[in-house]
This record gives sequence, structure tokens and C-alpha cells, in this order.
Amino acid sequence: MSDLKEELKAQIISQLNLEDLTPADIQNDAPLFGDEGLGLDSIDALEFIVLLDSNYGIKITDAAETKMIFYSIDTLSEFIAKNRA
Amino acid sequence: MKLIASSYINSRGAYLNGEKLFDTSAVQEDYLKALYGYLELDYPKFHKMDHLSKLSILAEQLLHHYIDKDAEPENKLQLIFANSSSSQLTDLKFQDSYTNLGNPSPSLFVYTLPNILTGELCIRHKWYGENIFFILEKFDEDFFLNQIKFSFARENRLCLCGWVESDKNGNEECFLYLVDNTNEATTQLSLNNTLRLYRNE
Repeated sequence: MSDLKEELKAQIISQLNLEDLTPADIQNDAPLFGDEGLGLDSIDALEFIVLLDSNYGIKITDAAETKMIFYSIDTLSEFIAKNRA
Repeated sequence: MKLIASSYINSRGAYLNGEKLFDTSAVQEDYLKALYGYLELDYPKFHKMDHLSKLSILAEQLLHHYIDKDAEPENKLQLIFANSSSSQLTDLKFQDSYTNLGNPSPSLFVYTLPNILTGELCIRHKWYGENIFFILEKFDEDFFLNQIKFSFARENRLCLCGWVESDKNGNEECFLYLVDNTNEATTQLSLNNTLRLYRNE
């Protein structure tokens, strides 16, 4: 699981062009969205959906789920581990 | 009305009022990223932007201290921007993302309109005034002058004018100039030489 978390951090930094950050700057339990976290926005959420589909074969069918799934690296990695193809 | 200040950026340099402040040709990395560092900007969203928006954010930063802060709360600052190739470079990247790479990129899609750059400037500085974006064959100072007059006739106090280009052939430049309707000049620039300023003559 820890490998997946580090992999996700690297993918997020690359995919979202977060050039000022390193994987070490992203805490596993810190919120990814909103002012308290990385400050990601709705477009970044769409990029997450694309990332899950293209890298892990996971299609998000219920948009209401995303708030919980995308909350942190912990919640995202847990969801991927359970649902990856 | 009076031309207050101008800035210009291309792959050779960054200029304020015609004076070269930063030699972009000397950097090995992405020159826009290097200029971002030189200007000590702290705006992570910059890295997600397309080149049109990056050029505009940087060129505005060069002349930002000339902007009359009193004009902003009254929403009396208008943005008047134009280019000739629209958002061509991002359009092609977005097309590539769904035809060759398999997934349309949302973050590219949001920049498939050139006037997004005016939105990025307004978001960054919390400007709530008018903005407009034209597609023109080339930089036309008379066209801009007419738009400035039209703006000031509607009681705007400042116009931030811009010609911002980033095309598929790698041609990039951003020329901004700030025109004030009320203040006396803080530089010796005059409004009828914007074409010479643009050409960096």
C-alpha cells in the first residue's frame, strides 16, 4: 500500500503540474482539496477521474462518491486497492 | 489619457518600459519558469496554466506596481487583449490528448479559449471590471486606441492592453501596456508610440 501511495503522489505532481511540490510534501492523511490541503480544484478532480481510468482501469460512475474517495492519499489509495482492474 | 507603462516578454528577454530586465535567452530550462523564479512569484496555479496565461501573468507582474490601486475597488480597470492565433497551441494539445493519448485532458480543455488568460489575471488580482478579447490579424495600435477610448467613455479609469501570442510554430510573445484616464504620467511614455514599443524599437 505504501508503494501505491508514493506512486500516486508522483502521478499527482506530474499530472497536475504541481511543480513546487515533492512527494514528501504531501501528507497521506492531509486533504487534497480546499484551502487546508493542496488547494486542488474541480478541474483537478476531473484529472483524477481520468488518472484512475487510464492508470488503474477504474471508472467512477457516481460523482457523489468522489468527495470521499479524493479526500486524501489514504482514501484514494484505499479505493484503488479495492477496485483496480 | 496617458500610457503609464509597458512590458514585453519573448524567448529572448523580459522588458519593462523598453529596458531589458531578464535575459530569457540565457536560460537552459523553460524560460517562462525561469522568469517565474526571477520575479519571485508564489502562485502554484501558474504551473498548470497554458502558455498564453503564463505569459500574461508574468508580463503583468512586471508592470503591476504601476497599477493604480484606487481603480480596482471601483472596478474601473478594463482588460483589452488580442492575438492572431487564438488558443491554437492548446487546441492542438487537447486534440492530441484524445486522438493519440486516449483520454481528453480536462486541464487542457479549460484553456481552449484565449480569453481564459484574462480570467486568470482577474482571479489572481481579484479584479471585477470589464474584459474583452479580440482575434486580429496582427497587433493594431489604432484598433486598441479606439477600444481604450470606448472604455474610458464608459468611465473606466485604467486599461490594461495586451497582445499575447503562442502558436504551434513556437512563436511566443506578450506585450502589455497600461493606459490611465486620469493620472499624470509616471513615465515619459506617450500613447502614440505603442507600435514602436511593441517592436521594441
